[in-house]
Amino acid sequence: MTSNRIQYTLLGIAVIFALVYLFPLYWMYVTALKSGTEIFAIPPTFVPNEPNWGVFGYVWEVRGMGKFLWNSLVIATGTMIITAGLGTGCAYVLARYRNVWIDVALFLILMLQVLPASLMITPLFVGFSQIGLLNTPRFAVILAVSAKAMPFFVILVRATFMAVPGELEEAALVDGNSRVGAFVSIVLPLAKNGVLVSAILIFMQAFGEFVYSKSIIQDVNLQPASVGLNAFMGPNTIEWNNIMAYATIYVTPILAAFVLLQQRIVAGLTSGALK
Amino acid sequence: MTSPLQIELKAVNKYYGNFHALKNIDLAVPSGTFVALVGPSGCGKSTLLRSLAGLEETSGGKMEIAGVDVTDMPPRKRDVAMVFQSYALYPHMTVAQNLTYSLRIQKVAKAELRAAAEKVAASIGLTELLDRYPRELSGGQRQRVAMGRAIIRNPKVFLFDEPLSNLDASLRVQMRKEIRALHDRLGATTVYVTHDQIEAMTMADHVVVLRAGVIEQQASPMTLYERPTSKFVAGFIGSPAMNFIEGKICDNGTSVMLEMAGAPKLDIVQKVTPNMPVTVGIRPEHIRVAPSEECDFSLPVTLIETTGTMSYVSLGTAPELSLMLTDRTVFSVGDNIGLVVDKARIHLFDPKTEQAIT
Ligand SMILES: Nc1ncnc2c1ncn2[C@@H]1O[C@H](COP(=O)(O)OP(=O)(O)O)[C@@H](O)[C@H]1O
Ligand SMILES: [Mg+2]
Repeated sequence: MTSNRIQYTLLGIAVIFALVYLFPLYWMYVTALKSGTEIFAIPPTFVPNEPNWGVFGYVWEVRGMGKFLWNSLVIATGTMIITAGLGTGCAYVLARYRNVWIDVALFLILMLQVLPASLMITPLFVGFSQIGLLNTPRFAVILAVSAKAMPFFVILVRATFMAVPGELEEAALVDGNSRVGAFVSIVLPLAKNGVLVSAILIFMQAFGEFVYSKSIIQDVNLQPASVGLNAFMGPNTIEWNNIMAYATIYVTPILAAFVLLQQRIVAGLTSGALK
Repeated sequence: MTSPLQIELKAVNKYYGNFHALKNIDLAVPSGTFVALVGPSGCGKSTLLRSLAGLEETSGGKMEIAGVDVTDMPPRKRDVAMVFQSYALYPHMTVAQNLTYSLRIQKVAKAELRAAAEKVAASIGLTELLDRYPRELSGGQRQRVAMGRAIIRNPKVFLFDEPLSNLDASLRVQMRKEIRALHDRLGATTVYVTHDQIEAMTMADHVVVLRAGVIEQQASPMTLYERPTSKFVAGFIGSPAMNFIEGKICDNGTSVMLEMAGAPKLDIVQKVTPNMPVTVGIRPEHIRVAPSEECDFSLPVTLIETTGTMSYVSLGTAPELSLMLTDRTVFSVGDNIGLVVDKARIHLFDPKTEQAIT
């Protein structure tokens, strides 16, 4: 057995897994373009016979996707800003100090990560309604999603900060800078990749968020695209091509962004701060 | 010394939790002095230097720099420059930006920055490298940038933490001279940390020997070499290290009997309490080979190491005795050779307290 053979075998297995994993995505795209009868044809067709490109414009209009996507964008952007704004400082402190309390804090943060959204939503809903946050439901969702996303962000960004040697900061302090100045001019630029990538991942996660939005936002005009998609899929749905067209419009921008940024994302997550 | 004190430490203490890292450090450094802090790894050299820079909070005592109490001042107000062992160059800045970082914090005008960087670069041979990034430099070049970053500020005190330990041997010897020359040219006050006693001896005006957070002795290099006040300093300063042999003062109080084969007696110049047990310290360079009729004692050769200029000879006794010769050796391993000790340069220590007997 040559090692080459093993490598090709492993590569083959990896490709098969990737195909299996990506198949639903492919199915989403082709189903969107098929006609109603072709969708249920047996055997199924893998390339649509008469692709119906008009479906996208139609769904966009009929379902009012503009406002749904805008709401998703608002929620994702707000979440990213709050998470990155608060989480970066938090991650920095957790990276720079070593003592028992820091360990306790890290443990609690990891605990938070474990709690599922569906469990948290009831207490959150009650709390939010009591302090009147339900009057600004998108903001309430932003807060809830930020709290949910924070641990993930903090853990990732902390690792990035830990890769920046403390001596660089000390050199900046001796060179005459303040702690804040040293953080801004030395640590942050070196940790930039990791912080940016983590923020983008948070954005993408918030863009697809469903549980909190569904429960907290009652007004259709303020709901994000994920809730809109859910509303589209009633129990007796037959418009699969339209639903798939909706899903396509929803995820394609995120997918495109991910593909465009993937090199940076992978680099930011693996390489640490210094190269 | 008449020049004013540039650094003054009074009873400085430092605890890390329960660990007492610096114990009652007193230090007075006149302006223009090159001070070396030397001692084995973990003795607190970096802690002391970092306390001076303000990177560590001290737990007690007082620190003054140029007459100003800096004990509770943050690093940026102390006006000291530090060269780190890792160099700590800012990786995202070019050499020029690294050099001018401190000036930019002081809001020096843009036009002056480049000129200042070029001037410093020219003085330490970095002119060609101003637009490179640290990752594109060799170890020696990085070292120079780190020094340039300190020089450009014209600080009250220069602090160096083992700056040469990452360089290869020949470069280290060269940089040793350059750093000392730079110190003289700038008329600077320098505190230089090293674990290498040769660096300390060759570069410094004043050497502070630290051991487990305590100043064991501080003096000029030659004083440390000639009159160490403890067995620790005697063994730490000088290379190869001093030989220690247990012995006992004879009845007359003017000679000592060594505890080794043949129980040889050596005359000593000082007068010591008779019958007192002592540790006798003899430097390898103060033992000489002699014909058997005039020697103090003779021992078999177990190892000869030659560098060309020097020969290091090990002699079989317990513990092993070493000697250093500059002339060609005419004997070989296994030979019994006669030895004469330079009596004026024998050191005596109390075996219990390990302090020098004077
Ligand atoms: N941040 C710290 N926390 C606890 N102990 C420390 C810390 N820094 C240094 N020490 C201890 O203090 C002693 C002196 O350290 P240091 O000054 O770095 O020694 P060196 O002389 O090798 O530079 C060592 O025993 C070290 O373990
Ligand atoms: Mg050290």
